[in-house]
Amino acid sequence: MASGIILAKPQSEEDPPYHYPAYKSTALRGPTRAPLVIRRGETELHSPVFGEGRIRPNDNDLTAQHAGEPIGEKIVVSGRLMDSKGRPIRNQLVEIWQANSCGRYAHALDDHPAPLDPNFTGGGRTLTDGEGNYRFTTIKPAAYPWGNHPNAWRPAHIHFSFYGTAFTQRLITQMYFPGDPLIESDPIANSIRDKKVLDRLVSSFDWDLTIPGTALGYRWDIILGGTNPTPEAL
Amino acid sequence: MSTLSLGITPSQTIGPFFRFGTEWIANEDLVEEGSIGAIILKGMVYDGAGEPVPDAMIEIWQADANGKFPPDTAESWMGFARRLTDSIGSYRVRTVKPGQVATSSGEMQAPHISMVVFARGLLKPVFTRVYFGDESQSNANDPLLTAIDDESARSTLFAVLEADSSYLFDVRLQDSPKGQQTQFFLFDE
Ligand SMILES: [Fe+3]
Repeated sequence: MASGIILAKPQSEEDPPYHYPAYKSTALRGPTRAPLVIRRGETELHSPVFGEGRIRPNDNDLTAQHAGEPIGEKIVVSGRLMDSKGRPIRNQLVEIWQANSCGRYAHALDDHPAPLDPNFTGGGRTLTDGEGNYRFTTIKPAAYPWGNHPNAWRPAHIHFSFYGTAFTQRLITQMYFPGDPLIESDPIANSIRDKKVLDRLVSSFDWDLTIPGTALGYRWDIILGGTNPTPEAL
Repeated sequence: MSTLSLGITPSQTIGPFFRFGTEWIANEDLVEEGSIGAIILKGMVYDGAGEPVPDAMIEIWQADANGKFPPDTAESWMGFARRLTDSIGSYRVRTVKPGQVATSSGEMQAPHISMVVFARGLLKPVFTRVYFGDESQSNANDPLLTAIDDESARSTLFAVLEADSSYLFDVRLQDSPKGQQTQFFLFDE
């Protein structure tokens, strides 16, 4: 047992649990056998680099991906991707996907009878810049009903996907909007048991990001856990 | 040295409707068809009822055949693939068996692929490692495999060699009629 590879404590205990009865889909999908907490091996200390060649000019402007303008309230969402020491994560891929301004996803299995928008698909991607900043132009998504429990509505949200400098920093989460009264009754949001931790998923309205006459602005910064350790003395 | 420690952004489920935002990179293989050493990694994702999961997103990350990561690889090597499970819950990716990589403390590890799985119903992802069932010698000395005392849990980490250089690796989110839950991992800070 020279390696001590199995450890006692995971990197973040603030994440939601695998089982949260109020969110019904966890019952058959959340693992029931406890994960082993391990020291990251060499593989997990690296992370993919996607490169600029994969990103097209309008990939971060979801309002400019079709011939016409989408219906809805145009917004800018921008922020900074950092590790837990506040160091920027540069040139890394950020992806979003979301419902349209009526709460409908451009997905074949979404049966919410709200209209699709021929000028809005709702998927975007970008690379963070040299300071870790990302920026999207999009349409504010609407709340939508779902079948989890009677009269269940998801608060308006944008799905976000992040990579860090280590594969174990991989994060998919959801950004909410400030002041949304649906957040407090949403089982997915409230699977994060500490209100202060849940607040990290709520963006802030930001005048500095607004485009006069065109778009309101929301700011949302992201902190990835699993910071690369400083090399240990041998 | 900085003592600043910022609050980590928590996880939320990928949800059911992510295809239109994530499939743009979900059809690339790690190597081209017919390239030397190409293997197929394929399998199913099952839930706790033994039903296939048709709305999972799988990502793999690995060293190249020489045990190297970018930038110490050929420029074409990304080491990464994403797959969205299909309507019957299966995935398939063409890659190569990774070379052996030493841990930072110098122990040689068996060839393995790091895998992460997202799905509706998973409030945070599951991480695992894909080892190769036909690498018995290096597996017997791998620091992680040898630290897992539970033989049945360890056995869920091996991809099984089938015909034509294809390896079968099923992900089982819970114990079910399809077999014991895959051993998942969380990582230290
Ligand atoms: Fe959603």
